[in-house]
Amino acid sequence: MGQGHASAATKTVTPPFSPMLLLGVALRPVRPQLLQPVFDHMLAIIRRRHPDILERMADYADKPVCIDPTDLPFVILLDPNPEDPRLTVRREIDPAEVAATIHGPLEMLIALAEGKVDGDALFFSRRLVIEGDTEVVVALRNAIDGAGIDLIEDISLQLGPLGRPFRGLAGAAIGLIGRMRDDFEMLRTSLIAPAVKDVNAQSARISALEGEVKQLRKAARRGGAA
Amino acid sequence: MMAATTPAALTRPELVCPAGTPAALKSAVDAGADCVYVGFRDETNARNFPGLNFSRKELGEGIAYAHSRGAKVLVAINTFPRAGQPQLWHQAVDDAARLKADAAILADIGLIDYAARTHPELRLHLSVQAAASNPDAIRFYAERFGIKRVVLPRVLTVQEIAAINARIAPVETEVFVFGGLCVMAEGRCALSSYATGQSPNMNGVCSPAGEVRYTETPQGITSELGGFTINKFTPNEPAGYPTLCKGRFIADDKASYLFEEPTSLNTLTILPDLIKAGVTAFKIEGRQRGRAYVAAVVQAFRQGIDAVMAGRPLPEIDLDRITEGGKQTTGAYEKAWR
Repeated sequence: MGQGHASAATKTVTPPFSPMLLLGVALRPVRPQLLQPVFDHMLAIIRRRHPDILERMADYADKPVCIDPTDLPFVILLDPNPEDPRLTVRREIDPAEVAATIHGPLEMLIALAEGKVDGDALFFSRRLVIEGDTEVVVALRNAIDGAGIDLIEDISLQLGPLGRPFRGLAGAAIGLIGRMRDDFEMLRTSLIAPAVKDVNAQSARISALEGEVKQLRKAARRGGAA
Repeated sequence: MMAATTPAALTRPELVCPAGTPAALKSAVDAGADCVYVGFRDETNARNFPGLNFSRKELGEGIAYAHSRGAKVLVAINTFPRAGQPQLWHQAVDDAARLKADAAILADIGLIDYAARTHPELRLHLSVQAAASNPDAIRFYAERFGIKRVVLPRVLTVQEIAAINARIAPVETEVFVFGGLCVMAEGRCALSSYATGQSPNMNGVCSPAGEVRYTETPQGITSELGGFTINKFTPNEPAGYPTLCKGRFIADDKASYLFEEPTSLNTLTILPDLIKAGVTAFKIEGRQRGRAYVAAVVQAFRQGIDAVMAGRPLPEIDLDRITEGGKQTTGAYEKAWR
C-alpha cells in the first residue's frame, strides 16, 4: 500500500527508500486534481501514438485498473474502455471500484511501461504486487509491453521545436535521479548496518540452536530404538 | 570465465527466440535471434494469454521486419483442434502459409496431415507438445508428413539427444535452452484442466490468469488457482508461476514442492555439449515474457553460441534476475538428481 490509498484491506507494500519517496512526501499537500491535466495529456499521447494498447485491452473495457505508485501520495485509475478511456489521478480508491490493483514504486512502474524490465521477473522477486483480477493485469502488462513505449520520445514528439531541449532536460534529470538513487542506497545501507549486524548474529545463533535440536532429536530416536 | 572449447567441425546452431508481441519480435531480432517464434491471437497456440500474440496484420509486418534483417519467423499452431471444429486451426495454417512464415510448428497429427496436404511448400516443425522423444516416433512424422524439425521434450539427457540425432538425419532437432520447465509429458498434462477446466493442450492456457488470485497479507502472499490454494510465499521469498505443478503441498505435515520447484532452465554452461550433440536449433521459452526478458536472454545466448563457435571461453552471464523463483537448473540434460 502506497502513500495513496488503493486498498483498506492491507498495508503490506512498503515503498523503497528512494528519491521518489522524497518526491512523494513533497507532493503530499498537492491536491490530485491539480495533476489531472498531466494525466489527460498522457492519455492523449497514448491514444495517438499507441492505439494498439486499447485495442489489446478491448476484452477488458469494463475492468478499470488501479495503479498504485507506492512512493507517491496518490493512485491512478485506468479505465480502458476504448470508446472513452480515462486516466484519473485520485488520492484514494475504494477496491470495489476496480477490477485489479498494481502496486509498485514509480520508477519501476515507468520502467515496466517502457519494457525495460520484465513484469514476471518483478513479480517473482516480489517487487511488484498485484491484487484482484489477474487476467486484466496480465492483459494490461502485455498490451503495454507490446506497444514499445518510450516516454521521453513520446512526449518530445508532441512538443515540436521544444522536443529537443526537452530530451536534453529529461536526460539530465534521469542522470540526476540515478545519482540520487545511489546516494540514497548508500544512506540506507549505512542506517540499517547496525540492525543488519544484529540480525545476522541472531540468524547464526538460531542456526546453531537448530543444529543442536537436530542432534538431540537424533540421540533421542537412537535412545528410543534401543 | 569457464573452460574454452574447440570449434572444430561444429555446426552453428540457430537461436530460436520467443515473441508475444510485435515489439518483442523486434527486440529479439535486434538482439541477435536467427528465428523468432510467435502465435496468433487465439487458442491455436499454447500461449493464448490475455493481451498477447499477433493479429494477421501484425504477423505480416513482423515477418517483413525479420526477413529484412535476415531472421526467420516460425508460427506456433501447437494446440489440439476441438473434435469436429478444426476450422480455426486450418485457417491459422492457411494464414501462416499465405503470410510466408518460414515454418509452422504443429502438434496435432490431423492438423499436420492437413498442412502437409494443403501447403506442401510450407516447412513443418513438430512442436514439443507432440512429445516425440524417440527415433521411431520422429521418423514416422518425417516419413508420413515431411516434418523437417522436431522440438524435443525436456526429458532427455544430452547423451540421449546425441543418440537420437545419430538416427534421425536429415531431420533436425531443436531443444529448449532457457526458460520455464514442464515436468509432465508435454501435450498430455491435465493438471491445469483439472483445476480450471482449461488446458494448454486444448485452450492454449496453462493455469489461465482469470483463474488466478493473489492475496497479500502481512505474512506474505497466497496464490490460488481455480479456488485451490496452491502456494504461500513469505514476504521476501521469491515467487513462481501459479501452476499446479509448481504448487507447494502439505504431506506428512511438511509443505514442499511435490512435482517441481519454481526454477528456470538455463543451459549456458552446457552449450558446447548440446552443440556437439548435433542439435540444429536452440529454443528460448517465454512468449509470455516481456521485451526486457527477450532482449536479455537472446543477448546472453547469442554471446554464448558465438563464443563456442569461435573457440573462446563461455562468457559468465548472470540471468538470475529474470529466472522463476530466482533459481536455475540444467534439468534433464544432466539429470544431476540421479
